[in-house]
Amino acid sequence: MNGRAALVAISLGVPLAIGSAQQKRDPMSGMDHMQGMKHDSAGMPIPMPRGMPMIPGLIGLVPSGGTFVPGGGIDPARLPLAKPSQLLRLADGDTIDLTAMLVRRRIKGHEFAMYGFNGEVPGPLIRVPQNATIIARFHNRIDLPSAVHWHGVRLDNRSDGAPGVTQEPVAPGGSYVYRVHFPDAGIYWYHPHVREDVEQAMGLFGNMIVDSPDADYYGPANSEHALMLDDLLINADTLVPFGADGPDFALMGRVGNVLLTNGEPSYALHVRRGEVARFYLTNAASSRTYNLSFGGAQMKVIASDQSRFEHEELVPSVVLAPAERYVVDVRFARAGRYAIVNAVQAINHYKGEFEPEVDTLGFVTVDAAPVRADYGRAFATMRVNSAVTKDVDRYRGYFDKPPDKELTLTVQTTGLALATVQFMTIDTAYYAPVEWIDGMPDMNWLSTSKEVRWILRDDATGKENMDIDWHVARGSVVKLRLFNDPKSFHPMQHPIHLHGQRMLVIARDGVPTRNQVWKDTALIPVGSTVDLLIDASNPGDWMLHCHIAEHLGAGMMTVLHVDR
Amino acid sequence: MIGVRQLSLMFAVPLLIAAGPYDIPLFSTPKAPRASGSARLVFAQSPFGISVTADGRAQYDVQVAVSGLPSPSSLGAFRAYVAWAATPDLQRWDRLGPIANGTTTVGHVTLNKFLLVITAEPDSAPRSHAGPTVLHGTSPSGWLQSFLNHPMFRGITG
Repeated sequence: MNGRAALVAISLGVPLAIGSAQQKRDPMSGMDHMQGMKHDSAGMPIPMPRGMPMIPGLIGLVPSGGTFVPGGGIDPARLPLAKPSQLLRLADGDTIDLTAMLVRRRIKGHEFAMYGFNGEVPGPLIRVPQNATIIARFHNRIDLPSAVHWHGVRLDNRSDGAPGVTQEPVAPGGSYVYRVHFPDAGIYWYHPHVREDVEQAMGLFGNMIVDSPDADYYGPANSEHALMLDDLLINADTLVPFGADGPDFALMGRVGNVLLTNGEPSYALHVRRGEVARFYLTNAASSRTYNLSFGGAQMKVIASDQSRFEHEELVPSVVLAPAERYVVDVRFARAGRYAIVNAVQAINHYKGEFEPEVDTLGFVTVDAAPVRADYGRAFATMRVNSAVTKDVDRYRGYFDKPPDKELTLTVQTTGLALATVQFMTIDTAYYAPVEWIDGMPDMNWLSTSKEVRWILRDDATGKENMDIDWHVARGSVVKLRLFNDPKSFHPMQHPIHLHGQRMLVIARDGVPTRNQVWKDTALIPVGSTVDLLIDASNPGDWMLHCHIAEHLGAGMMTVLHVDR
Repeated sequence: MIGVRQLSLMFAVPLLIAAGPYDIPLFSTPKAPRASGSARLVFAQSPFGISVTADGRAQYDVQVAVSGLPSPSSLGAFRAYVAWAATPDLQRWDRLGPIANGTTTVGHVTLNKFLLVITAEPDSAPRSHAGPTVLHGTSPSGWLQSFLNHPMFRGITG
């Protein structure tokens, strides 16, 4: 199998021979409007939002590709209880073993067989000095093929962990050795790139912090905390099953109904009065975009994916699309209890109303005793990072050039249930630039990668996804313009991720960005046009894709070839 | 289970063909019949991919492009045109800033749904709107709302 064919096979769904017990026969199959849908008199295992009923025409249907739950049939009691993430401080040349394995997790009073790296959820927090190189020996001990992608790291292409592009997937029982070099200080994460909708959702992810040799790189803080944000979709006491032949929830991605922080439904932190706590935030969810704040505590954003910002800014909240990272300092000036909340404005499509939705991820308890070292003055100072500006200055001459490449982001569907098509057709009056919740989980669940094809379309050639064949010379500075077409069947925001390089978001809807930061993932809202400037300095074949796991699984990816 | 009444409400949603989630056509009033224009919502500057408040409301700057506005003084004792964002029930009016023929960016709007209203006013920074409306439009986010569910009718229809 050549690389391209392998990638498509994996991303569009490796047929899974395990546990598709819930697949049902469809007495209505063959109808044009729902050619792939199955019917199940037992009904849907999908929890509906309050006040948003199921569409009658969908009741009893099940996804076309069959369903499964990883680790199905295994009694969770036989598995080791998942441990919290442990810090692994590594030096240049160190070797680690990273094992994907089945673990037992307790969530909301229920026990599930899930996944973890080295028995931990999140996996070990790897902390290395900038410019270190480590050897990571990956061992696959789960029941699916897997691999490890070192997200955001500009490493050697051979260790990118992109099956079908840089390696074959690691079969259950197999191993693979990665050589990971860390050229840039920042916050990164690792996760599988095989059936991401399943393996990541089941707990396979972990953080990496790359420390600058400059001890004052981020400024002073009293404490540091890595928070990996995730969500899980459960119904009563069971996990909502996954698609067997490929991702289900293909329209907008699997949006969980239990929000998890570092794998737990409730996060707790104790600090002292006046403490400046530094949070390394990573969105590891399949589809959910977060809008996070800390109970009104003052917060400033310092850095994102691969660098600091040109200058620090006070912010009311932090917006994180899937795969994005931000480093924020939060000062807890007064004693008390601060709720960490994800607060968004949901749309009730049935009523045509916006409805506030607030989820509490946990609490920060602030003691009355003052912090020993008071960094209040440093916190109140918005630092200017001239080194970042100086670095970006080398690229500003390219900001106004015409785009080298242009992509339109859109979707095609076929064979969706008639009721879904009807509802979506009348629901075209307004699409939110970002869908914060899943208001139509019944329709979403029934859409699979058989019915939904998400598209990156090259405007110059009309070629789509893996048919696009972009080559650029090493050292090129590529201006990529992305337009998220609002007139498609179901427009969605897309967090677009480019492997192995770094990029700047230089403009949104024609408005230049004022405060630059190096990124590897950028949010493209519905209807928006976003200009990215890619520093294509790292040779190899690099995936460019939407990081909503189900959109990736439904085809939304291509490869940028950076020639030597 | 969804009811017949809910279904009828769903289908009562006007099938507008939206240019996108950001464009607002502006309509003139008899006070300025030759005026025309449009507005575009642009996310306010933010370190993130979009700009939202802590409770999740989008924060937009509004790029207003208009032509054909007569001199404000031709409408009475007015010196300026001012853009406002009003809630659909008209209870809250946020002054966005003065505009003139041509393109002007005003902001921020942090309302989920709003009416964009251009009025003639005695000065460019009035505390409240008082003069006549010359142009008006509805944020795209308001288009998904049916008349029967409009705040103006709540309490009347039960």
